[in-house]
Amino acid sequence: MSSMALNAAAGLSGMLKDGHQSLEGVDAATLRNITAAKELSRIVSTSLGPNGMNKLVVNHLEKITVTSDCATIVKELEIEHPAAKMLSLAATMQDDECGDGTNLTVSFAGGLLHQTEELLRSGLHTSEIIAGYKKAGQKLSEILPTLVTKSFTTVDEESLAEAIRPVLAAKQLDSDTVLAPLVAKATLATASKKPSYSSGLSVNPEQVRVTKILGGRMDQSQVIHGFVALRNVETTLTSAQDAKVTVFACGIEASGTEAKGTVLMKNADDLKGYNKSEETKMEEIIKSIADTGTKIIVSGGSISEMALHFIERYNMVCIKIPSKWELRRLCSAINASALVRLGPATPDEMGYVDEFSVEEIGARPVSIFKQTKSLKDGCKLATILLRASTTNVLQDLERAVDDGVHACRQLCKDGRLVPGAGATEMELAVQIRNYADSCPGLDQYAIRAFAKTLEFCPKVLAENAGLSATHVLAGLSAAHANGNATAGVDIEGGLDGTSDNKSGILTDNTIEDILITKESAFRLAIDAALTVLKVDQIIMSKPARARGGR
Amino acid sequence: MAGRPGIIILREGTDTSQGKPQLISNINACQAVADVVKTTLGPRGMDKLIFDGRKVTISNDGATIMRLLDIAHPAAKTLVDISMSQDAEVGDGTTSVVLLAGSMLKAIKPFVEEGVHPQIIIRNVRAAAKLAVEKVKELSIPYDMNTEQGYEMLIKCASTSLNSKLISGHQDLFSPMIVEAVKALDDAGALDEIKTLVAIKRIPGGDVRSSFLVKGVAFKKTFSYAGFEQMKKKFENPKILLLNVELELKSEKENAEVRIESPEEYQSIVDAEWQVIYDKLDACVKCGANIVLSKLPIGDLATQYFADRGLFCAGRVEDGDLKRVSKATGGTVQTSTNGLYDGILGTCGKFEEKRVGDERFNVFEDCPQSLTSTMVLRGGSEQFIAESERSVHDALMVVKRCLKSKAVVAGGGAVEMEVSKYLRDYALTIEGKGQLIISAFAKSLEVVPQQLCDNAGFDATDILSALRRKHAQDDDGKWYGVDIAEGDICDTFESGVWEPSDNKCNSLAAAAEAACVILSIDETVVNPRSQDPGGAAAQQQMMQQKPMSNMMGNAMDAVNAQKGGSRSGNLGNGVSYMRGRG
Repeated sequence: MSSMALNAAAGLSGMLKDGHQSLEGVDAATLRNITAAKELSRIVSTSLGPNGMNKLVVNHLEKITVTSDCATIVKELEIEHPAAKMLSLAATMQDDECGDGTNLTVSFAGGLLHQTEELLRSGLHTSEIIAGYKKAGQKLSEILPTLVTKSFTTVDEESLAEAIRPVLAAKQLDSDTVLAPLVAKATLATASKKPSYSSGLSVNPEQVRVTKILGGRMDQSQVIHGFVALRNVETTLTSAQDAKVTVFACGIEASGTEAKGTVLMKNADDLKGYNKSEETKMEEIIKSIADTGTKIIVSGGSISEMALHFIERYNMVCIKIPSKWELRRLCSAINASALVRLGPATPDEMGYVDEFSVEEIGARPVSIFKQTKSLKDGCKLATILLRASTTNVLQDLERAVDDGVHACRQLCKDGRLVPGAGATEMELAVQIRNYADSCPGLDQYAIRAFAKTLEFCPKVLAENAGLSATHVLAGLSAAHANGNATAGVDIEGGLDGTSDNKSGILTDNTIEDILITKESAFRLAIDAALTVLKVDQIIMSKPARARGGR
Repeated sequence: MAGRPGIIILREGTDTSQGKPQLISNINACQAVADVVKTTLGPRGMDKLIFDGRKVTISNDGATIMRLLDIAHPAAKTLVDISMSQDAEVGDGTTSVVLLAGSMLKAIKPFVEEGVHPQIIIRNVRAAAKLAVEKVKELSIPYDMNTEQGYEMLIKCASTSLNSKLISGHQDLFSPMIVEAVKALDDAGALDEIKTLVAIKRIPGGDVRSSFLVKGVAFKKTFSYAGFEQMKKKFENPKILLLNVELELKSEKENAEVRIESPEEYQSIVDAEWQVIYDKLDACVKCGANIVLSKLPIGDLATQYFADRGLFCAGRVEDGDLKRVSKATGGTVQTSTNGLYDGILGTCGKFEEKRVGDERFNVFEDCPQSLTSTMVLRGGSEQFIAESERSVHDALMVVKRCLKSKAVVAGGGAVEMEVSKYLRDYALTIEGKGQLIISAFAKSLEVVPQQLCDNAGFDATDILSALRRKHAQDDDGKWYGVDIAEGDICDTFESGVWEPSDNKCNSLAAAAEAACVILSIDETVVNPRSQDPGGAAAQQQMMQQKPMSNMMGNAMDAVNAQKGGSRSGNLGNGVSYMRGRG
């Protein structure tokens, strides 16, 4: 670098400030980018599928994350390299969009770049490779819808639970049997009607909330139709039925003036009456709230002792919820709007809850707002109460539920399913390879490489399951060539005797993935890979803050 | 360094490790942590002294030790989690859960070393844990707690829990106290509020045997003003007024200002201030109360005023105590003296100010809602009482758990032996790697009786083989466990070593879960801390000099290092460790 700085007049370095770096050409830029992206996909690929392993990541705040969820891994990894970052952004997009399939995105993009390396070394130009990949990508999105095996038109709890099980299984093995029914129950309870969707229902992931309580076992998890706050009430009264709820975003206390003021007293009577007047005022307010029929008061701020005194006197329950987010969710759960000033609410502004109670779960007091009667018109919020003995598992379960809910949303929107367990990828590979043979130009090499990359998914699935990947791939190729388009990897085969199938190939495959998720994962992966490939020069300016050790 | 693309994709100073060595080192770290607490298990377990720079804690409660150990190793932190969760869910058995997890990992380690895929191990460990929990449920003996026998059972469960604690010698005193306190709650259906309604008060000094239970509320006499001596200290059926009001002469409001126009008015203002406080005092007396308690100070004017009128008062009562009095006597806490009426007053059968040791206590007994109780613990030193409190707390939770689960199993390692035998038999019926793994899991459960023997100084090998034989051959052998008194085996169900079955179910499930979490990690990535950029650089420099001195490196060292040394790798910086008699 110092030599560059000395030779200030020459080329690029003459234009830029001291301390920058510039790398160009296939060797310096493209291949390095590819190595970085490959490295990232190598890290995450062992986490692919139900048998994927977890990563333990300690982030810069010393928070420990144990997960096999790719989006979370890349988020916590603090990736610095620009090309690798591209892949992680694609994963984040996929996570926001579909919730699932993030690992496929990164692994596939990494795989594509890996193949590119060989093509580049064999002399192809980047632009030819890009053209080939684009063509293959188009072909892929044409073929994909033709592979649909099943389509959801009506949705009930059981079928939905069954459909999202593969999604959950990929996150927490064995937990899918417990979580899938919970997720299905919670999402269906909150789903609203939307005729334009294939299932006629629309799911808003915002309406399914997760609350984690340390302790107990996973199978003690449950769904509550309503809202759960991890805190106790302020009052001695702890339960209410069929209660009207008044929600205040502000604190319940005598409002002080913003400007600094002094109370001026002229005579002795003023002094005597002063405190009393404050008390009467508070009583008036609380009484007016009680008169509206309110049984539960929720406050977003502090509650003065004087106010609490009168709330007790009028036999109401009072709970404090300091988080604005929580308060908003509660409002939507009980159909209330939060008041910003102290006073009685209009009937419109008031919320309603069928049952309110405080329970102790895992040695923590938990306030539960439960809707039991109004269920038939769909409740606005469902809470999944997760239990597990370690924080790591709890967090991972939460992510799994999150993905599950997103999957439900996709399913309700578009119920088309394609075969899972690597079968779709395998079939695509076969068809795209055939397509490559029909292409005349140089891009047929790239298309063939693309097809080879598609085999990556079943290969990793087999590897992670402890099977011989080569054997499985050979078997799968044969099955697909013979017309069995749904043959996939049997991750339980040959493992520990739970399946008699020692070949590791699932011929009557019942595992199904959601079409939209697959489609979006492939699209994002191809985009990310192409973006990385299109870079031919990297220019880095000197970091503004020089860090030690360099 | 980081500027060069293609090689480093993560932030500088990031440390990654992966593969089998990483997994083994995580397992070793967990085992090292389990080794620390294992000597505290059981009636003959030893205590740990932990000095955190400010305070000395002597304890043999697993959760307390784990919390204070300040474990830095990311994987080993999982063990802290399960210990805490056992504490939250059950309250006792916090040592055994860590021990079980450590032992499971130890049993599984050979498979990892041999190259069995961790997923296969995880699957089988999960299956085994599920079977074990089902077996415990099947073995457990239900009982009706409302009978005479039920009461006996609770006493035995409390005794079993206390047995392994510091105050084991005094279980005849504490067990009935504990059972009575919890039963009172259960009768009122308020079992969940055990933490707020049962208070444990520590009074240093005196003998442990002079600890006592108050069926009602007791708290230390608060700071009192002049006039206190003249007060009546004993009432029968008093009316109690609970306040959150300051009864003292002071300005009404901070930002109030008085402006007067003539000097004559000055006196009227002074009078008015007196009038305000007298009005308040008057209101208290007029509502018919005999005892006035306030969260806020009660000044000497008020104390004198009440003393003259035959009332008792106490100011600066702690919030929790006031709430308990409110619960017990049925009174509600008032934030204003305006509008006091009879309905808000509480009452109790007997109030007395008692002397305990060199402290005076305000004691409310025979309350109408007899659900609150207060346990007053006495003992020689601060540490002793603190540990007694933890022990009593654990026993309280155990009794609570018993009342909830309504089923018990025999302790002393008996249930572990029986489950172990069941799993071993089951393993023989299946094919494949699962057989070996489930057998290993079964063997790992034997750590509980084994450690009980080790801690008691018995020959664990002899006793274990005797236990195995008994469980395998005799039909009535299922409740045979370690006889701590005789150094032999005995039917622990007969000898009254009982534990709630929920306790065992939870610890088995939690330990297996922790083991699975550890096994499922195939790569550890440690990012540098972000708070101080200089620190990251410094850490990196350190790494360059001594590549193994970072966090993961320490755990790797643990593999090779000697036993004592390995611990420090898992604890925070600057933790020193001493062990044994030497």
